[in-house]
Amino acid sequence: MDSYSSSSPPMGASPSPEALMEQIQAQLAEAYAKELIETMREKCFDKCITKPGSSLSSGESSCISRCVDRYLEATGIISRSLFSQQRR
Amino acid sequence: MDPNLANNPQLIQFLSQEKERAMANEVVAKITSSCWDKCVDKPGSKFSSSETSCLSNCALRYMDMTMLIMKRFQQQ
Repeated sequence: MDSYSSSSPPMGASPSPEALMEQIQAQLAEAYAKELIETMREKCFDKCITKPGSSLSSGESSCISRCVDRYLEATGIISRSLFSQQRR
Repeated sequence: MDPNLANNPQLIQFLSQEKERAMANEVVAKITSSCWDKCVDKPGSKFSSSETSCLSNCALRYMDMTMLIMKRFQQQ
């Protein structure tokens, strides 16, 4: 993979554990973001583009931006209700 | 891979921590996807209090269900 080869040390030398951890963390973050974007594309298309017209209407555009914001908020709400201490 | 690196305790701890975090993220993503469909009609500029409590209840009931299904399987 590009991002890996560009930042990996020359052949023979082993990357330091710190460099390796940083690389892993960056790749995990990238994978997470990709998946989230893919899900939001699906969800917001379903909610906002109900009848695709010849161009994206301003109503559809603003629905999409609200949808993205709310989806992130929903992720936060659910994460908090699952992992906060005050669970019944 | 350098065998010293594979045995590095700092790295081993980091990996198990990241694995746990990735699993938690996955559960949250799955539940958000299902509960979004059930609780949100048209995304507004702000969640109503009923949408917020629907999302939160939905998440907790999803976990209850998971427990129930696991128990059901253990009985057989």
